[in-house]
Amino acid sequence: MNNRLKTIIEALIFISQKPLTLEKIKNVLKEFPPKDIDQALEELLQNFSSNERGIQIIRSAGGYIFATKPEDDRWIRRLLRIERKNKLSPAALETLSTIAYHQPITLSEISALRDTDSSHTLKTLLQKKLIKIVGRKKSPGRPLIYRTSDKFLTYFGLNSLSELPTQEEISKILEEGE
Amino acid sequence: MESTESYQVKLEVFQGPLDLLLFLIRKQKIDIHDIPIATITKEYLQYLEQKEKINLDREAEFLLMAALLIYIKSQMLLPREIPLEEEEDPRQSLVYRLLDYQKMKAASTLLRKKEAEELLKWKRTFLPPLLEVEDLDLIEVSLFDLAEAFFAVMKRKEKEDFRIIKRKQYSVEEKIKEILATLKENSYLDFLNFFARQATLEEALISFFSLLELIKARRVIAVQERLFQSIKVWLMKDPATGHN
Repeated sequence: MNNRLKTIIEALIFISQKPLTLEKIKNVLKEFPPKDIDQALEELLQNFSSNERGIQIIRSAGGYIFATKPEDDRWIRRLLRIERKNKLSPAALETLSTIAYHQPITLSEISALRDTDSSHTLKTLLQKKLIKIVGRKKSPGRPLIYRTSDKFLTYFGLNSLSELPTQEEISKILEEGE
Repeated sequence: MESTESYQVKLEVFQGPLDLLLFLIRKQKIDIHDIPIATITKEYLQYLEQKEKINLDREAEFLLMAALLIYIKSQMLLPREIPLEEEEDPRQSLVYRLLDYQKMKAASTLLRKKEAEELLKWKRTFLPPLLEVEDLDLIEVSLFDLAEAFFAVMKRKEKEDFRIIKRKQYSVEEKIKEILATLKENSYLDFLNFFARQATLEEALISFFSLLELIKARRVIAVQERLFQSIKVWLMKDPATGHN
């Protein structure tokens, strides 16, 4: 039974374009006892963590997703004929980390923290779906409020916002810089 | 050999005035909590002077910071009967902003590392942006098909009420750049949608010429998956380098 469950879960993760949460798996497999699902998933993860496979299952944005291994990057790029993947611009990265650490946040608050107009960068980030609009602030002008999206977590390989670099890690960087 | 004197960086590389200020503070190895405001103001203004013309849209913030620095400097220079309490130091709020900004920069550095690690892992979410034309059974569209599609769109546009507010000059070079940029971002371009988006007849015509130019130079290819389906424009791979 467990082996059957394992293959089903594997199929569900494979077909998902976004990280698949345990909650969603359980919703789909409602005929099965949740405990069995937990166990089957655990076993599946163990199978995939072996060195014999080119594909791994990683935890990302609170869910599970298939990914290749970092060491195979160059071969994949050769196949797809991609020189390199695009990185975020310095302005985009700055704006993004401002939002990540101060969310929910409005455009004018972001611009104040960065001390520079961030409307253009914000638009780019929205297009890339790394941030999302979550509502309007109840203040004059009712400005839009922004938050980071699940895609933001996946992009940086984070499981949740609590995995953002901590104050200690940041202080360490600052000390090194001096 | 590192010489601080000759080390000049252009204003454009800074993300904003705080970025520039932080750079100057680091360069001078100054304690951020006790900034010698006269020195730093002078340095800061020197950077602004490097630019003969200030682009007000983008660099107004830099000027604002200059004004603030000069204001703080004047506050520090004023003789006072009672010495200021520490909280009243005119530099205080700037220091807080700098510290916050510095933290955010450090966080960005950490996120940059994570980004680099993550970019090495390829996920199901990734769709290859480039199409290998030879792998696909597509019909390359002839010039006549393209022109026909173009006139069809223009007929439709004609019925719309054009109210041109300002005259904008378009050039083929600019349009070519724009088309290539769109293609790099989105991997393909829907012919009908693309022309429906053009604001004026003039812009549409220039776009069409640009597209023909690109097709002639074999930098893009116009294809249909099946007859009578919408025409899509794809980027061609440069046969010499393997990328575009």
